[in-house]
Amino acid sequence: MATGSLPRINTDKLPMPEARDDSWRKMGECPLVDVGDSIAVTRRDLVELVLKDPALFSSKKAFEMLGSPLPLVPIAFDPPEQTRYRQILQPFFSPRAIKPLECDLRNQAIALITPIVERRECDFVAEVAKVFPIQVFIVLFGLPLDMRDQFVEWKDAVLRLGSASGVTSSEVSVEEALAKAGELYEYLSELVRTRRGVVADDILSRVLNLAPPDELSDEEAIGLCYLFVLAGLDTVADALGFGMQRLAENPDKRRELIDDPSLIPAATEELLRLDPSAPFTSRVTTREVELNGFTLSEGSQVMVYLSTGNRDETLFPNPYDIDFHRPENRHISFGLGAHRCLGSHLARLEMQVLYEEWHKRIPNYHITEGTAPRVLWPRGTVGLDSLHLTIEE
Amino acid sequence: MKVSINSGACMGHGLCYGLAPALFADDDQGYGTVIADGTVPPEHTDAARKAAANCPEGAISTAD
Repeated sequence: MATGSLPRINTDKLPMPEARDDSWRKMGECPLVDVGDSIAVTRRDLVELVLKDPALFSSKKAFEMLGSPLPLVPIAFDPPEQTRYRQILQPFFSPRAIKPLECDLRNQAIALITPIVERRECDFVAEVAKVFPIQVFIVLFGLPLDMRDQFVEWKDAVLRLGSASGVTSSEVSVEEALAKAGELYEYLSELVRTRRGVVADDILSRVLNLAPPDELSDEEAIGLCYLFVLAGLDTVADALGFGMQRLAENPDKRRELIDDPSLIPAATEELLRLDPSAPFTSRVTTREVELNGFTLSEGSQVMVYLSTGNRDETLFPNPYDIDFHRPENRHISFGLGAHRCLGSHLARLEMQVLYEEWHKRIPNYHITEGTAPRVLWPRGTVGLDSLHLTIEE
Repeated sequence: MKVSINSGACMGHGLCYGLAPALFADDDQGYGTVIADGTVPPEHTDAARKAAANCPEGAISTAD
């Protein structure tokens, strides 16, 4: 891959932990950036071009490079195979299918928030953001709620494994993480075997009872569960942590939501725009292609930057400002094109419900003195290590 | 005014029927569909423009 003419950035050295906006500003200075083993695509029009052409920029090939032992249904596939999976799965994750969960989600959110009202302080990341999406997953998949902490342990191990290349080896015991991933795989395999043929209301049972030609094999169903655990838990947690940090640091913006809760859906979108928890996504070229005058050989890896695409000045005036009144907010934090996040409707509902119920009970809060949330970096998905909040009278 | 959706470009983000439920509906898959023939009553022209402007895929067109 010829990369001689592109500016080069060592992304590991970006000031992400304490200054993520500055990091995205730096990444967005040039439309294409040599980031070492791949080319970062940062300009909005190029980002759209790549994401809308899965035949040329393959998601399947990008996942083959990761070497997952499971078929990660549907993200590790390209159309037309991927189209079949999407058509099978989308009815379970559409707004129409997700809406009936709202009441249950709301009750779960209230149960998490209520003790904090009394205590006047919390680590929002550990006590709310990380817990809520896992509880939702457990209910959706019809699992016992006492599996919650076990899932946290498995998920953390699997995610550590996924980011091992970006983390110093001393932090990660690869053997231990592999063993945990194996346990999760065993659990999901057993779950799929015992659920098949059993009539129940949860998503997994319904997926497993689909009639031909829509039926999924055990391997495909396990891959779907595995992807849900990898993609649907920390991403929501991280987005909530980032959103609450911005609201804690900007009391004037928070006041807008207290005064007019009908702004919360728009605020959710704006906070998502600023902080996509998956700020870039990987594709691999299926043949030689020219992008913005630069030739990429077949098999080149490109990292498509959603975070910089969300800060395009022509689409978003004052792109680094928080503005809950943008008439247009075509952010791409859930991606674009064939691989648009399948769980986006569920994620949106989780976030909106949590912001609503929190601010009804806790309108005023600030980041606890002497603490500073930091972004864990380098990582494939980004999130805060903690968010200590003090509740004001 | 009339609205239309390029069904080949729609990826089911679901924003149009959230922003302008009088003009757009969802199908079983969560893709957006135009209600009736897409004619926009005068009181919904702002909603129509807003839905078109917020579609992440640029799949919605308006025509006067």
